Amino acid sequence: MQIEHVYTFKGIPRNIVWETIQDKEVLQKALPGCKVFEEVEENKYHSVLGINIGPIKGEFTADVQQLDMEEPEAYRLLVKAKGKPGEIDADAAMQFEETAEGTVLTCIAEVQITGLLASIGQRVIGGVAKVVIGQFFKDVDKETKKAA
Amino acid sequence: MEEVNVTVTINGKKRSAKVEPRMLLTHFIRDSLSLTGTHIGCDTSQCGSCSVMVDGHVVKSCTLLAVQVDGSEIITVEGLGTVQNLHPMQKAFWEEHGLQCGYCTPGVMMAAIGLLQENLEPSDEEIREGLEGVICRCTGYQFIVSAVKHAAALMAEEKQVVGEGR
Amino acid sequence: MAGKVGARIKRKEDPRLLTGNGYFSDDIQLPGMLHAAILRSPHAHALIKSINIEKALEAPGVVAIYTGKDLEGKIGRIPSSWLIPGSNLKEAPQYPLAIDRVRYVGDGVVLVIAEDRYGVRDVLDLIEVDYEFLPVSVRQKEAMQENAPLVHDDIENNIAFHWKAGEVPDEEIEEAEVVVRESFNVQRVAPSPIETRAAIGQYNPGNGELTLWCTSQNPHIHRMVLSEVLDISEAKLRVIAPDIGGGFGGKIGVYPDEALIGYAARDLKQPVKWIEERNEHFSAANHGRDEIIDVELAGTRDGKLTAIRVKNTANMGAYLSTFGPGVPTIDFGLMITGAYDIPKAACETFGVYTNTTSTDAYRGAGKPESTYQIERMIDLFAREIGMDPVELRRKNFAKKEDFPFTNAQGLVYDSGDYEKPLNKALEILDYKKLREEQEALRNEGKLVGIGFSTYVELCGFGPSAVAGAIGFQGGVWENATIRVHPSGKVTVFSGTSPHGQGHNTTFSQVVSDKLGIPLEDIEFVFSDTKAVSMGWGTYGSRSVAVGGGAISIAADRIIEKAKKIAAHELETSVEDIEFEDGVFKISGVPGMERKFVDIAKSANYAWNLPEGVEPALEAQAFFDPENFVYPFGTHIVVAEVDKDTGQIELKRYIAVDDVGRVINPLTSEGQVHGGIAQGVGQAMWEGIVYSDQGQLLSGSFMDYTMPKARFFPTIETAFTETLSPVNQLGAKGIGETGTTASIAAVMNAVVDALQPYGVTDVEMPLTPEKIWNIIQTGGENDDTI
Repeated sequence: MQIEHVYTFKGIPRNIVWETIQDKEVLQKALPGCKVFEEVEENKYHSVLGINIGPIKGEFTADVQQLDMEEPEAYRLLVKAKGKPGEIDADAAMQFEETAEGTVLTCIAEVQITGLLASIGQRVIGGVAKVVIGQFFKDVDKETKKAA
Repeated sequence: MEEVNVTVTINGKKRSAKVEPRMLLTHFIRDSLSLTGTHIGCDTSQCGSCSVMVDGHVVKSCTLLAVQVDGSEIITVEGLGTVQNLHPMQKAFWEEHGLQCGYCTPGVMMAAIGLLQENLEPSDEEIREGLEGVICRCTGYQFIVSAVKHAAALMAEEKQVVGEGR
Repeated sequence: MAGKVGARIKRKEDPRLLTGNGYFSDDIQLPGMLHAAILRSPHAHALIKSINIEKALEAPGVVAIYTGKDLEGKIGRIPSSWLIPGSNLKEAPQYPLAIDRVRYVGDGVVLVIAEDRYGVRDVLDLIEVDYEFLPVSVRQKEAMQENAPLVHDDIENNIAFHWKAGEVPDEEIEEAEVVVRESFNVQRVAPSPIETRAAIGQYNPGNGELTLWCTSQNPHIHRMVLSEVLDISEAKLRVIAPDIGGGFGGKIGVYPDEALIGYAARDLKQPVKWIEERNEHFSAANHGRDEIIDVELAGTRDGKLTAIRVKNTANMGAYLSTFGPGVPTIDFGLMITGAYDIPKAACETFGVYTNTTSTDAYRGAGKPESTYQIERMIDLFAREIGMDPVELRRKNFAKKEDFPFTNAQGLVYDSGDYEKPLNKALEILDYKKLREEQEALRNEGKLVGIGFSTYVELCGFGPSAVAGAIGFQGGVWENATIRVHPSGKVTVFSGTSPHGQGHNTTFSQVVSDKLGIPLEDIEFVFSDTKAVSMGWGTYGSRSVAVGGGAISIAADRIIEKAKKIAAHELETSVEDIEFEDGVFKISGVPGMERKFVDIAKSANYAWNLPEGVEPALEAQAFFDPENFVYPFGTHIVVAEVDKDTGQIELKRYIAVDDVGRVINPLTSEGQVHGGIAQGVGQAMWEGIVYSDQGQLLSGSFMDYTMPKARFFPTIETAFTETLSPVNQLGAKGIGETGTTASIAAVMNAVVDALQPYGVTDVEMPLTPEKIWNIIQTGGENDDTI
C-alpha cells in the first residue's frame, strides 16, 4: 500500500525543517505516544510507540532508520514496527522543497502490514496513517517555530 | 488482575459474580452465570448472536463490559419462555421455521423483540431493515421475516386477550 | 400415522434451541478444564528462525506451551482424504503446527494452554517469533509459472495435481459452426457458519479413552483420521459432535487444531477447550471455490451444442485439505455438460499450491462452479446465434425418455424431466409478458435483466465402489439402527450428522409412516461415535438419500420380524399378516390384530416367540446406494441495475426444484432459501481477498460482506417431483441445490440487464463500483476486476 502525504511548513526555511526533523528530542515529542526513543547507532533508533486510533490500538516496538541522507533535500526513512495487532513495515522517501510559501515536505511511503492490522484494519489503515503522519508533521512544525 | 463484584437481575433473579474488569457482558452471562443460550458469533459486533435485553433495550452483549451493567436488569433467551410456555416470538419462530442450526436464533429473536417494541406492525421491508444488526447464515432470512411478522400478530392477539380479561 | 412423509411439519428440534437449551461446543464446561489458544502466522510465507517463549512461560496461569518442534514425532501429519487417482497428486505434509516454515497467514505456530479464557490470549502476546520472509505465490495461474516462488520446495511449479477427464479433439472446436469462449473466475469465499470451530478434549488416564467434542459434520471420519494422527485405537477415541451452529462444508475438514486439542488433553490429563475466534476462522478454517475456469463451447448455428472443453485452475491453498482435491476434479469436471446432451466433453484441472488458506468443499462443492460455467456459456451461445436462451436450453436438454441418462463424462443421471420445472417456473414468471416489459423499460433507459439457471446437480454420496474408484479415502454408505423399546417407543441411530438441517424431524416422518407410530415416540441419536457404530456424516446432500435409505431398510427389517411374532401370536402364517398404520392384522378377518406396541412388548419380554426368532426388536441396516442422485430445476432471477449508482436490485427470485420426494415441504423450502442466499451472496457481495503479499484483507464480518436480511427479495419457491429409483424414498438431496443454481441465475440476469452496453460477462462479485464503471465506459470495462 502506498501512502503519500504532503505538508507545508509555512515560512520555515528548509534547513530549519531539516534540522528539527533530525533532532532526537523533537522526534521523541512528535512521534505518537512515544514512550521510549533511544539511538542505537548513528541514524538508527529503537522506540516504543502507543497508537490508539479507532480499531488500531496498542503498543508498537519500532526500529527506525534514516539513510541515504542528502542534506537538506532528501532522506530515506525505514520503520519496522511490531505490536499486538500486527506488524508495519514502511519504506518512506522524504523530500524537502523550498517554495515561496515555505518548505514543502513530501513523504511517499510503501507500507506493508500484516496480522490483524491487515485482515481487519485494511479499510481504515490509510486513514489512520494520514492522521498519525499529519499529527507528526504538525508537532514538528510547532518545534520548528520554536527553533526559528 | 483484581476482580470486581457485579450484581445483576437476570431473567428476574438476582445474581452476582466476581469478574475481571475487562470481562465482556457476553462472557459474564455465559461463563459466570452459566446461561449459555446467548451465543457468540464474531469478535467485531456484527453478527448479533449475543443480543440480550439490558434495562429494556436490545444490546449486543459483546459491546458492553460486565462492570458496566452492574445493577441492571437483563433478559436473555432463557427468560423469554419455556418449552411448555413459549414466548410468542419463540412460538412464531417454531411455526414459521425461522431457524435451522439455531445458533444465531436467540440473538435474532432478541433483536426482533426490540424491533416490535418500536413498531407493532412492521412490513416485510421494515423487518428486513430492522434485522440489520444480525447475521444468519442458514435461513436466507425469509422464514425469519415470516416469523417476526407472525410474532407481531401473536403478540397483538395476546395483548388483546390480556386487555379484555383483566 | 400414515401420511407424515410429504407433510408440512414443524421441527422437533426447535423447542430446545428456541429456549436456550441447545448444547453447543462452547457450552461444555468440565471440571478442571483448561483453555487453549493458537498463535498463528501473520506472514504468508516465512522461515521460523526462532521462537522465544521465556516471558510467556512466566505468565500467570500458563500450563503448557507447545511449538511445532516440540510435537515432532508425537502427532502425525494431517492427511487429505481425497487422493484423485491418475492425477500425479503430490500431497505435501501438513503438521499440526508449522515446524520450520509457515505457508499461509493463519498457519499454526505455537499452542498455548492456560487456566483461563482471557489469560490464554494474553500469553500469545508474550511469545516472540522471529521470521525470515520468503517470496510468496498467491494467485494460482501465477503460481504455476516457471520461477514462481515454491510453496513446497519439492513440488514443481506448485502443481498439486493435474487431472483430465474426457477428450475433445481440436477439430471439434475449430471446425464447429459456432464457438463461444469465456473465462470465469469463481472467487474464493468463506463458508463461515455463525458458530466458529471448536474442540474440547478430555482424557481418562484410567482406561486410556480420549473423548473429543468438535464441530464436525462427520464425526466418524474425524475418528478414523485422528485415531491415526494421534496414534490411538478407534475403540479408545470417542468423537462427539454436539449441537453444531452450521457447517456448509467448512466443518467437514479434519483440522490440525482438533488433533492439537486431543493431544494436549491426553498429554496434560486435563480437559482442554479451544474456541476459535471469528478472525481466526477467516484465516485458518478452509475456504471454498477459488477456481479460474476457461471454457470453449461449440455447436451449430441452429442451436445444437456439440462439444465443450473446460480448463479449471484451482487454488488449493498451502495444503490439500480433507476433501479439497475432489472439488475441482470429480465434483466439477464430471458435471460440466450440466443438464444438456452435449455429445463431447473434456475437462482438465490443475490443483495449485499457494501461500493461502486451504480450500475445501463449500456448499455445492464443485457443482455451483460447474453449473455457473455451463449456464453462463449457454446464455453466451444463445446470444451469439440470436436465439432465446430458454429455447436453446430446451433444444439441448437431456430428454425425459433418455433417462437414466448417461452424460458425456460417463455419469448416469438417475431420473429427470427437465422441462417440468422449467415450464412451471416460466408460468410463475409469465415470461413472454416480462420480455415485452423488459423491451419497453429498456426504451425508457431502465436496465432490467432476466437470468436462467436450469441446473442439474450430483449429490447423495454415494456408491462406495465409485468412491473408491475416484480416490475417496473411505466409504460413503450409511448406517441406521432402529431400537424398539418394550413401550413401543423407538430410538434410531444414524451415521449422518445434522447441523441445522432438521434430520430429527425428516427422519421421524419416515419412521412414523413406516412403523405407524407417532412422531413423539421416535428419538434419534446422531454424531457420537460411541453410540453410532459407523457412518460417514452429512455433506454432499446425502443424508436423506443415503441415511434415509438406510433408515427405511432398517424399518422394513423391524416390520419383517414383528410380522413373524404377530403371526405366531395370531396363530397364522406370516404370509397372511398385513401391516398397516401400526397394526398387524389377518387379511379379511376382523378383530384378529396386534398393535405395534403389543409386538414391541412381546418381542422384548420374549415369553412366547416363534421358533428361530431371537428376542428383542432391533434392526440395523447398511445402505450403499447403486448410484448418486441428481436433483434438478429451474431458477429465474429478474434484476434491475441502477444506471446512476451501479446498485443491483433483485426484483424477483423464482426457484422451482425437483428433488424427488419432498419429505417435509417446510424444511425443504428452508434449505432452498438458505442455499440460494449463499449463492446469491457469492454472485453479488462475498469474497475472500488476499493482497499480493498473501495478507488476508477480509478477516472479519466488517470486511467480508456477509449478506443481511435486507439484501434479499422474497424468494418464490415451488417443487416438482420426479422420483429417484436409487433409494426407497425416491428422494434426492436438497441442501445444495439453491447454491448450485443461484450463482448462474443472478449473473445471467445482470449480464442480460447490461446487454444494451454490449456487456457479455462480468466478474463476481457484482460490486456497484464494478457495475458503475462498466456503465460509465459503455461496456468497455467489461470483465475486469
